Amino acid sequence: MVTPLDLIKKKRAEAVGRIISKGYLSTIRVYVGMATCEIAAGSKEVMAVFKDAIANGLTDVYLSQKGCAGRCNLEPTVEIVEEGKTPVKYGKVTEDRAKEIIERHIKNGEVISDWVI
Amino acid sequence: MSDYTITICDGTACIQNKSRNVRQELEKELEKHGLTDTVSINVSGCLGMCDKGPIMIVYPGYHIYGKVSQDDVAEIVEEHLVKGEPIARLLINEDHLYNRFFRIFGDREFFGRQMRIALRNAGIIDPENIDDYLSLRGYEALAKCLTDMTPENVVEEIKKSGLRGRGGGGFPTGLKWMFTAREKSDVKYVICNADEGDPGAFMDRSAIEGDPHTVLEGMAIAGYAIGANKGIVYIRAEYPLAISRLEIAIAQAREHGFLGEKLFGTDFSFDIEIRLGAGAFVCGEETALIHSIEGKRGMPRPRPPYPAVSGLFGKPTLINNVETMANIPVIILDGGDWFSSIGTETSKGTKVFAVAGMVRNTGLVEVPMGTTLREIVYDICGGIPGDKKLKAIQTGGPSGGCLPAKYLDTKIDYESLAAAGSIMGSGGMIIIDETACMVNIARFFIEFTQDESCGKCTPCREGTKRMLEILTRITEGKGKKGDIEKLERLGNTIKMSSLCGLGQTAPNPILSTIKNFREEYEEHINEGFCRAGVCKALLKYKITEKCVGCGACKRVCPVDAITGDKKGLHVIDQDKCIKCGRCFETCKFEAITKS
Repeated sequence: MVTPLDLIKKKRAEAVGRIISKGYLSTIRVYVGMATCEIAAGSKEVMAVFKDAIANGLTDVYLSQKGCAGRCNLEPTVEIVEEGKTPVKYGKVTEDRAKEIIERHIKNGEVISDWVI
Repeated sequence: MSDYTITICDGTACIQNKSRNVRQELEKELEKHGLTDTVSINVSGCLGMCDKGPIMIVYPGYHIYGKVSQDDVAEIVEEHLVKGEPIARLLINEDHLYNRFFRIFGDREFFGRQMRIALRNAGIIDPENIDDYLSLRGYEALAKCLTDMTPENVVEEIKKSGLRGRGGGGFPTGLKWMFTAREKSDVKYVICNADEGDPGAFMDRSAIEGDPHTVLEGMAIAGYAIGANKGIVYIRAEYPLAISRLEIAIAQAREHGFLGEKLFGTDFSFDIEIRLGAGAFVCGEETALIHSIEGKRGMPRPRPPYPAVSGLFGKPTLINNVETMANIPVIILDGGDWFSSIGTETSKGTKVFAVAGMVRNTGLVEVPMGTTLREIVYDICGGIPGDKKLKAIQTGGPSGGCLPAKYLDTKIDYESLAAAGSIMGSGGMIIIDETACMVNIARFFIEFTQDESCGKCTPCREGTKRMLEILTRITEGKGKKGDIEKLERLGNTIKMSSLCGLGQTAPNPILSTIKNFREEYEEHINEGFCRAGVCKALLKYKITEKCVGCGACKRVCPVDAITGDKKGLHVIDQDKCIKCGRCFETCKFEAITKS
């Protein structure tokens, strides 16, 4: 008989497969905080900037939302994760800052240290 | 940006195992190899791997080294940091559920000293995608229970963990489960209490918005353990995003067969529905909550019978808070023994706090029990802006108390906070600096509780109202001799004679501020003086010799209380003055004083 533990392992493997097929292994992963507090601080607009950029041809980027991590006074937060590098988290990201993060960090690999938490 | 970041555990156990010597040695070695600019060292709070300490984590790669001795340091620097080859003999493969946090976040100062168990996924995964949760061993704890644990085993494991209710009461969770499990009934309920109502508290909202599945999984495990097939999340309607994420999560879990009929193909069925509360504070009390779900007016009733015996619709009911539920999957997967190795003698595991008020980094903080208030305020939250002095720390919301700065080194657990005169509560923590008036703060909390009193018990209904009147009087400069004693007598009477937790704790903010800041009350009453300058009625604006007679203050005064000739000294008519402070803000010459 298939035990629940066998079943969950299979489900997990499938889930990981689905996440990868959505581009998880892209060079850069971008996470935008989307809890009530972050949305109130303007994270929906920030998310839209990243979505637009991807719709307009920005490739090799995995975009995902996430909940609140607890950095209330620095929201909205955006996190950029690259394999093999220390993750970078930006605080108080506005639409303009998001556009600049795309241009300078994602496209040119420059960490904008002034905005890093 | 450093090439490598090294975390060294600075928890009590690791310090005993000489982690600080390892750190010194590492600093020396880095200097020797000229790596101080490219390698940064970070000190963390307890990482929960005490038996393998001292722990050192090297990032990138997340290589965890255990039992690192001073002699190993040179090898780590030369082989790993210089040549890039991790040292196999020191590596430990920890597959703990929690503690991926630091790996994903670069934000070390804030998160480094924290230990995230309940919030392990919040802020990391996409809460609306079950795949994210599954990829991090989601629902594995439930599967483990159904595969090789009997309901008794599960209850035993929770008892062993030492977990206590995180909603504020601190009742041992394992016992509560055992009491509900041993009742014989064809229908039982599991209720998750998400009726978070303390002003300034948002732990439960963030937990649900960030990781709803973990709460559902905890509830399903509870259902299995106590023999219930039905779960209810009682959540306030003013949390729309949390509700919608819960709905999405429930639908996804049903689709995968983690909720509904015959979970994982076994004989155990469990489903969850959401009930919305209208936001009455008293409905966080378990019997009032049950009444609210039953469609009755949200009022508490005497206990016993406890809900474990006769709860929702008269059936045995288990009620646990969101944070309590979020701890369950970790306890099942990592073990009760492991969980109970974290924390203090009487309080195990971690606690989430919503830190607000006059502090640099406000936010959600999850720390092991036994962390001191000082570590939270100064290390994690960065201290008080403008380097002002800390006056008090308010914990436990309207049921809690204000602890003055001398309690900063109190280790956080249920007992020590109670001994200091406050409570753990559900996790609200407000940092108060010297610019706040303690009488006014006490007034704020009693205003809240008197508004939220359900009215069933006279002492609570009438008493809180009278207390508010007296406090309002004091802040308006009309306090009388004997008011403090009256507040104390009234407060103690309300505590003793109220039925539920709301009334029993409502006077706490007042009693604790009287105990710790009595001189502020006395100043208000006897001298008509508010040292923080907050109580408007006690303020006096005066124009000093510095006045150049520009007339700016005269023009902004809304009640024409200021008179004076051009280029001459102006005067404020104290009878007319309404203390709005506009003159004070307008004056460019600092000629107006506030006292």
